[in-house]
Amino acid sequence: MRSGVAAPALAEHEGQPVRTGERPVTSAGLARLIGVLSLSPSGVGLRLPHLEEVVASRPPAGWLEIHPENFVANPHATELLVDLASDYPISVHTVGVSVGSAHGVDRTHLIRVRRLIDLINPVLVSGHVAWSTHPGEYLNDLLPLPYDEETLAVLVRHVDEVQEGLGRPYLVENPARYVGFGRSTMNEAQFLTELVDLTGCRLLCDVSNVCLSAHNMGYDARAYLDALPGGAVAELHLGGFSIEDDGRPGSTVIVDTHGSAIDDAALELYGYALGRFGWQPTLIEWDNDIPSFTALLEQAARADAVAAMCRETKKGPSRVAR
Amino acid sequence: MSLAELQQRFRDALVTGDAGRVASLLVGGLDPRARLAIHQRHYEASLVRALLDRFRATQWLVGSEPVIEAARDYVRSRPPNAPCIAEFGEGFAAHLAATPMGRRIPYLREFADCDWHLGRVAISVDQAPAGADARAALREIPAAAVASARLVLQVGVHYLQAAWPIDTLMALFAGEQTPDHVVVEPATVYLEVRGSRGACWITRLEAGDFAFREALHAGLRLAEAADRGWAVCDTFDPGRALTALWAAGLVTAVVPASLEEVS
Repeated sequence: MRSGVAAPALAEHEGQPVRTGERPVTSAGLARLIGVLSLSPSGVGLRLPHLEEVVASRPPAGWLEIHPENFVANPHATELLVDLASDYPISVHTVGVSVGSAHGVDRTHLIRVRRLIDLINPVLVSGHVAWSTHPGEYLNDLLPLPYDEETLAVLVRHVDEVQEGLGRPYLVENPARYVGFGRSTMNEAQFLTELVDLTGCRLLCDVSNVCLSAHNMGYDARAYLDALPGGAVAELHLGGFSIEDDGRPGSTVIVDTHGSAIDDAALELYGYALGRFGWQPTLIEWDNDIPSFTALLEQAARADAVAAMCRETKKGPSRVAR
Repeated sequence: MSLAELQQRFRDALVTGDAGRVASLLVGGLDPRARLAIHQRHYEASLVRALLDRFRATQWLVGSEPVIEAARDYVRSRPPNAPCIAEFGEGFAAHLAATPMGRRIPYLREFADCDWHLGRVAISVDQAPAGADARAALREIPAAAVASARLVLQVGVHYLQAAWPIDTLMALFAGEQTPDHVVVEPATVYLEVRGSRGACWITRLEAGDFAFREALHAGLRLAEAADRGWAVCDTFDPGRALTALWAAGLVTAVVPASLEEVS
């Protein structure tokens, strides 16, 4: 890593056994997704600027993922989404459920999300290991958590509440991290493993987040992937990021902007993740400076090329063409 | 320190800029405070961008810079209260009006309010209008019952009375050509802001029709709505107003009066 940052090293934990396969696929939604997508290309995040175009032209996307927060207060967009749900597998990826908030999950929002998923019957529902709400406020970011017993208890309680409230399994995504907390007693992979064990939730592994968090926090990205409970990983994400100065010459921080093409380093790590977790539904995220839908499909094709290469070689690629 | 206290400090760093109480708790990078600034910048930039997206006509009217400046102040004083950012900004028109720019431009609040409501109605979905059969049924019930009935109007409608011809300004914004110079004189206008399925439009109403429709939209009974129309216009004709309302496809249902209301 170029930043030279002192941070918790996963290497300390490499000797621990990695638990895999302890979570059998029992969800009808997940089984449906795997059935639908076993030979399908990667999916793309469907954002509002593309909604009418996608409804009109039905482009060849393998599947679509939406943020419910863009729809639950927008009846017109919801109407179009319901139309699309008849032709595409849809995944619902929440950004406002905030399972990490000490003050509790926003139940009003959870009910709205439930109403939406009852309308479109998504193949997957997911969110983030983060917090974004404070009493009466929504902070519009996925904010970091300390990894300790208190936080774990909060997340276990809230993930259970969300899975019960939504009536289906909830995947949780590893966050993009720029800071940690001195009080943490676990590293992130340990924390996620405990969360999976205690709630039965599954993991959405954002490979780009692993790539940038490893850089920012100074650990080894592949060791991180090795330490995750592989059998719990049910979806992968890839998103663009940007490299910025970190305050001193030669020191950089990678920021999860979702505003550019997938970086080669992330695609290389994606190949490693496929080798580690096997084929998983993979999604391209692009939320800022959103390009044409065709450009998103091109990014999905890049991911598909990596997956195809992995199927041939049974391992991750050494170089990926942009 | 509890997780709740930690999150309170983090929240303060984002919303008020007070990073001092959380910075010492952070690790990461050569300077964790600089890393925290990534979150601080995102909070402000993403919410300011959301407001700019919602108030495009207002930016056109007064320029981007003063709106950005007001938006920065707004996101510090009024964080969103729900995760749906499309719902963020309802109070921004009033906030703008309280700025020095708002005090210089007397129609700014009404214009920005109209801008907000155009965005709200455009994402609504029209229901099927009540048909001729519903109207015929209304004719067949006793007059007292008709007077006590309520009409349900389309969701995508908002009634706005303004002291300036903001609809004329909005038409200039929506048009392809903007004149170099526009004279705006005070003139009370009664506006029906309508929208559905991505489209939105403004209709200027007579004072009586406006009062009648606004009252029905607020859930008042037909007789009460007619009284509102007469109160502002001696020549108000409720029969004609009702026919026009029906013809516009604004009525989605008739709610008969209960026996108690009729008696």
